[in-house]
Amino acid sequence: MTFNLTRRAILAATVVLGLAGTAAAEFPESQITLVIPFAAGGSTDVVGRIVADRMGQELGQQIVVQNVGGAGGSLGAGQVAKADPDGYTILMGTVATHALNPLILKQKPYDPVADFAPVSLLVLVPNVLAVNPAVPANTVQELIDLAKKEPLAYASSGNGTPLHLSGELFKSMAGVDITHIPYKGSGPALTDVLGNQVPVIFDNLPSASGHISSGKLRALGVTTKERAPSFPDVPAIAETLPGYETYSWNALFAPAGTPPEVVAALNKAAVAAMADPAVAERMKEFSATIVASTPEELGEHVKAEMAKWEPVVRDANVSLD
Amino acid sequence: MSTKPKDSTDLAAGLLLIAAAAFFGWQTMGLPIGTSLRMGPGYFPMVLSIILFVLGVIITLKSFGREGEAFGRIAWRGILFILPAPIFFGLTVRGLGFVPALFFTTLIASQASIRMKPLHALVLAVAVTILSTLIFSYGLGLPFRRFGPWVQF
Amino acid sequence: MELFSNLAMGFSVAGSLANLAFCLIGVLLGTLIGVLPGIGATATIAMLLPITFQLEPVSSLIMLAGIYYGAQYGGSTTAILINMPGESSSAVTAIDGYQMARKGRAGTALAVAALGSFFAGTVSTFLVAIFAPPLTAIALKFGAAEYFSLMVLGLVMSVALAHGSVLKALAMVVLGLLLGMVGTDIYTGTPRFTMGITQYADGLNFVALAVGVFGIAEILRNLEDETDREVMTKNINRLLPTRDELRQMIGPVLRGTGVGSVLGILPGGGAILASFASYTVEKKLSKNPREFGQGALAGVAGPESANNAGAQTSFIPLLTLGIPANPVMALMIGAMIIQGIVPGPNVVSEQPELFWGIIASMWIGNLMLVVLNLPLIGLWVKLLTVPYFVLFPIIMAMCSIGVYSVASNTFDLYAVAFFGLLGYLMSKLRCEPAPLLLGFVLGPLLEENLRRAMILSRGDASTFVTRPISALLLLMALGVLVLVFLPQIRKRRDEVFTESDA
Repeated sequence: MTFNLTRRAILAATVVLGLAGTAAAEFPESQITLVIPFAAGGSTDVVGRIVADRMGQELGQQIVVQNVGGAGGSLGAGQVAKADPDGYTILMGTVATHALNPLILKQKPYDPVADFAPVSLLVLVPNVLAVNPAVPANTVQELIDLAKKEPLAYASSGNGTPLHLSGELFKSMAGVDITHIPYKGSGPALTDVLGNQVPVIFDNLPSASGHISSGKLRALGVTTKERAPSFPDVPAIAETLPGYETYSWNALFAPAGTPPEVVAALNKAAVAAMADPAVAERMKEFSATIVASTPEELGEHVKAEMAKWEPVVRDANVSLD
Repeated sequence: MSTKPKDSTDLAAGLLLIAAAAFFGWQTMGLPIGTSLRMGPGYFPMVLSIILFVLGVIITLKSFGREGEAFGRIAWRGILFILPAPIFFGLTVRGLGFVPALFFTTLIASQASIRMKPLHALVLAVAVTILSTLIFSYGLGLPFRRFGPWVQF
Repeated sequence: MELFSNLAMGFSVAGSLANLAFCLIGVLLGTLIGVLPGIGATATIAMLLPITFQLEPVSSLIMLAGIYYGAQYGGSTTAILINMPGESSSAVTAIDGYQMARKGRAGTALAVAALGSFFAGTVSTFLVAIFAPPLTAIALKFGAAEYFSLMVLGLVMSVALAHGSVLKALAMVVLGLLLGMVGTDIYTGTPRFTMGITQYADGLNFVALAVGVFGIAEILRNLEDETDREVMTKNINRLLPTRDELRQMIGPVLRGTGVGSVLGILPGGGAILASFASYTVEKKLSKNPREFGQGALAGVAGPESANNAGAQTSFIPLLTLGIPANPVMALMIGAMIIQGIVPGPNVVSEQPELFWGIIASMWIGNLMLVVLNLPLIGLWVKLLTVPYFVLFPIIMAMCSIGVYSVASNTFDLYAVAFFGLLGYLMSKLRCEPAPLLLGFVLGPLLEENLRRAMILSRGDASTFVTRPISALLLLMALGVLVLVFLPQIRKRRDEVFTESDA
């Protein structure tokens, strides 16, 4: 009993001291866990690990990457939403975890705005519309014309993913019907398009880029408003369908209630990491555009993305329980 | 009836399969079946549940009319201590942390054997915990919290 | 002879002191972690992946590849010693390998597995080197219809896995298929059989299922009557196989290598079938098929070779297309991207050192494995002399860590307990776990491809027979079905009351 009391006393004392002392000056005192809500090896994982490595150097503490995959990113994001708001557990959020899932899921495991303290929008990643070279369409317009003449199908990395919804947005803006064929991830979807089992694909530019530059896939358009710097010859879909814009993005989030000084320290480290030439080089190879925003900008970004996707999700009638 | 020979193992297997088929079939009820062009999420499971049900019925019927082997002894003590071990680890690995959770998991599992003496179990649990912590946490750097929030000052 | 100059370049890359060292470290780490119960290749790679990110691209991929086949090898060791497979492939090895171990032939089983794997690894490495591009073209001919037919063939073959009642084996396959349906339907996003638990949205974890129905069920069986039964026979015979045993394994190893090499190329899950298919072939060809399930040498030699051959050739789609054939390959792709290599068809031409270096390192790694493991067999077999009541708590601890480390999902641990109970119940009711496991693995693939094929053909079911490869596979399935059931029917006529009811 005495032991318990002593321990409780120490505990209380620590709490008081912790409150009295300036948390920001000491942050971080120990290693930080970066939760990546997808399996290791995916594009979010790659971005996350590159950033975590460099940010750890900035902060003088190791950042340990933990992959908590499942349910389209909802499990990992939900875990961080419920974590202690001390800045030692942070999330690599994406367009899926912070815009699409909350709109699609009937049971909401977390609130993308209220449950998180935004840290920094790191990068934007373009998606790409590509076809098998055997498909008689060399431009977006030709594809639209073809789709009006004969039934077509497009592959995506899964139901409710940004790529699926990019396809649905394309269909509604172009006024065509193309059958959606979902796969379990980008890899199998690409395989079937390379083998011309399915003619069309919406994919992340990074995962498709090798096939585009080797000519095994014909890129018709990127989904960003402007052309991607890594593929200046590939037009933007918006050049044919004005106003068309989708992209994937990666951003850091802490749980809501994290002290502002801690968020500021994390943001400073993230911005510094993204400014590193080696990181910039990696991101360029990855076709990703560096943003490195402020926490406020990320907060606005999340709201804007949810507003943008809401009608698309509604029109496409996608919902997951 | 009771004098009639029957293979009680197969009878139990058949009945359990029927129960499993019924469970899956019942769970499939709420799912859209769709058409064979656009199969719904319920199409395939429904077909499978029916097949499983039929197989269960055949196994049940065939169990009558011949002798089978006996069940043999049941490892109640094993069930009582082995199965809770991973559950305990799952419940506590985040709260207690890796080290205490693993210690108790090993301790619980070791109680499944009547040959294990309490002191030996303790020694074994300590040894397993220390070695695993060295290998997995320090050696491989797995992102486990060694001591979780429940045991922190 | 471009091949030889390419291979020479590969060996010079892989043979550099640093790369040899990384290959050795990878193989060693893979074996050591993989040999822990319940931890297979996927879990091992997930654990060790971050270590490789700091290295040069070639070195990191060489090390990862080493971890991969090292872990696969280690997984087979635990399958043989304690009936605890960490991968679908070693689940087949467990069937006869563990029975051999119980009969005091653990050393022989391990040696046969090592030698078979090495031979298969050598042959398939050369296959990769010579035929990678043309084989890729074949793999791309496989669409949804072909995969569906391939899975049907696999399921039909799975019945041969059973050594008891065919009916019960069929029921187990179907139950496995249903368990494989648990999770989110990929076409509509509807959760199925998840009981509202989001943690099961991506399906039940394979390792949890395999560890439960094989390993934990076996522990429970062994705890039934501790007082009057030893788990392992104490008189362990010699460690290395006799000349006669070596002769017996030649056929199975050759056939296993062939089956595994072909199936490994298919990116849509062909490698999963490799060891199952080889087991079926061996059982059908064997003069005394009754021996299977009781510790048949061919039941270890064939599947182990097939498994390793498939593991090697599954690098083909990765290297030539940049497409992952399995989760481990997906991790390798991630490793390449992190190193700044764009995976895809250009890797061969733009990074020949990388491509050929990895191929050469595969062979070197396999050689290291066999050299490392043959002497280790003595040690592993000694492990069996540790009293069982000391061994199984350690097994439980390792399982818990292994299953948790795959995805940090605590619900996977609850699944382990559930499947342990299910597996024990199954063994009491004399239902076998291997067909269940195969059904579980194939179920999602079967459904996914069936539905995709039907959408692509716009609802025309004839797509399965009008596409030549698909039709051929279905014919083969029919052939196997006849082979399996014909003897059963004939036997039924001969002896009306058999103990193995067909």
